[in-house]
Amino acid sequence: MNPSRILAAGMLMLATAMAHAESGTALKSDTLRAEPFPDAKSAGSIARNDKVEILDKKGAWLKVKAPKGSGWVRLLSVKRGGSTKSNEASGVLSVASGRAGTGQVVSTTGVRGLNEEDLKAAKFNEDEVKKLESGLITSDQARQFAASGKLKPRKLDYLPKPNTQGGQP
Amino acid sequence: MMNKPSRTSLLLALLLTGLSAPAVALDLGKALKGVVEQKPQETSPADNAQSVAPPEAQPSTINLKKPSQEDEIKLGREIAGNLLGAAPLVKDEALQKYVNQVGRWVATQSERPDLPWHFGVIESNDINAFAAPGGYVMITKGLYRKLTSEADLAGVLGHEIGHVIKKHQLKLIQKQQLLSLGAGLLGGSLGKDNSTVQKLIGSGAEICARSLDKDAEFEADRIGVVLAGRAGYDPYGLPSVLQEIGHSSKDDGSVALLFKTHPHPDDRLARLGDAIGNRFDNITDGKSLEERLYRLKD
Repeated sequence: MNPSRILAAGMLMLATAMAHAESGTALKSDTLRAEPFPDAKSAGSIARNDKVEILDKKGAWLKVKAPKGSGWVRLLSVKRGGSTKSNEASGVLSVASGRAGTGQVVSTTGVRGLNEEDLKAAKFNEDEVKKLESGLITSDQARQFAASGKLKPRKLDYLPKPNTQGGQP
Repeated sequence: MMNKPSRTSLLLALLLTGLSAPAVALDLGKALKGVVEQKPQETSPADNAQSVAPPEAQPSTINLKKPSQEDEIKLGREIAGNLLGAAPLVKDEALQKYVNQVGRWVATQSERPDLPWHFGVIESNDINAFAAPGGYVMITKGLYRKLTSEADLAGVLGHEIGHVIKKHQLKLIQKQQLLSLGAGLLGGSLGKDNSTVQKLIGSGAEICARSLDKDAEFEADRIGVVLAGRAGYDPYGLPSVLQEIGHSSKDDGSVALLFKTHPHPDDRLARLGDAIGNRFDNITDGKSLEERLYRLKD
C-alpha cells in the first residue's frame, strides 16, 4: 500500500469519527481528570444535567468536553445519548475501542433471534447440555488462568443497596 | 418429548423433597396440601379447610424453600437444556473454554465457589444473557460481540453469577409454583396430571423469558461489579457494556427481550452509580485485558 493511500485512509477514519461525535448528559456532579485515572490531576468539573460532548473512550472512562473544561470522567457519570438510532452514533466510541469495522450491523441470516416464542417452543437438548458440562473448568485451573493474566484477587465488600432512586448526586 | 417422563419424575422428586416417609412422599395430594398450608396467603380465600392436613402430620415437610444443592443443579440443568434447545452452543471450543475460564475465576470470588459452574456462548444474534439455578450461565453471541475486553466479560458473567448465588430464578420458580399448585388444588384438578408439574418451569425455556423483579436485577448488577473487582479486573466492565447496550434503540429487535425483562440500562447505570459512589476510587490497578479477549471467528 502506498503512503498516500494510508494517509487517505487515515483521514477518512478521522472524518468518520468526527462526523459521529456524540453528545451526552451529566448524570451527577463529578471532577474531570486530565487522564483516565481516579488520582489524575483535576481538569475541571461537570454538574448534573450539563450537556457534554463525548470525545473519546478508554476502558471505563469517557473524555468529554463540558461547559467547565475538558477531561476524563467515569462513564457512570455521563449518560450517552442524544441519538435515538442504534449503531450509527457509536462511531467515535467504536473507533476508540478498536472495534470499528467489525460489523456492528446485526445480520439475521442463518442465525435466529431468541424471542419468547422461541424459548417457549424449545425442546430439551441432552447433547448440548453434555457438551456444556464437558467444558467444566476447576477452581485450580481458573486460578492458573488468572495468574497468566496477572489478575490479582482483592478484597472488596459487596455494595449496599442505595437509598436514592438513581441518578441523584 | 421422548425423555419427558424421566425428567418429569425428576421434577416431581424435587417437588417432594423433604418428605421423609416414602408412603407420604408418594401421596402428591397430601404433599400439596402441605404447600398450601405453608403459604395460605398465596391461595385464594376459598374454603379449603377440610383439605388441609393436620399441622402435626406434616410439620414444614415441603422443602421447596430450601432445595438441596443437588436439586438446584438438576433444575438448572433442565432449564439450560431447554435453552440450548432454542439456541445451541457456538461451535468454537476455544471460545467456550475461554468463557469458562473467565466465568469460573469470577465465580470463585463468590460465596458459592464450589458449584459446578458452567458457562456457554449460544448461537443467537440477540443481545442477552441467562442464568439458571445451580450455576448454569449462558450469554448470546450478540452480546459477546458487544464486549471490548475481558473485564467487560467478567462484569457480564458476574451479573449472572449474582443471580445464581442469590437464587433469584429459583425464588421465582418457587413462587410461581406455589401459586399454580394452590390454584390447581382448589380447582380439584390435581393428581396424576403431569402438566401441573411441568408448570414448575413452564414450557421449554419460557422461564428465561420471564422478568425477575427490578430489585433483583439491580442487586445482580451490584454483585457483578464487585465480583469482577475481586477477581482483579477493572470493576467498570459491566457498566461499560450496559452503556453500550443502552445505546441500542428500543426498536432494535436484538434487544427486545432484554429490554422487556430488565430495567432500562440507563436506569441500571444510574443505580449502579449511586451504589458505587466513591467506593471503588482506590481500585487503580484493575485489569481490562483487552488483548486477551477471545475474538470471534465471524
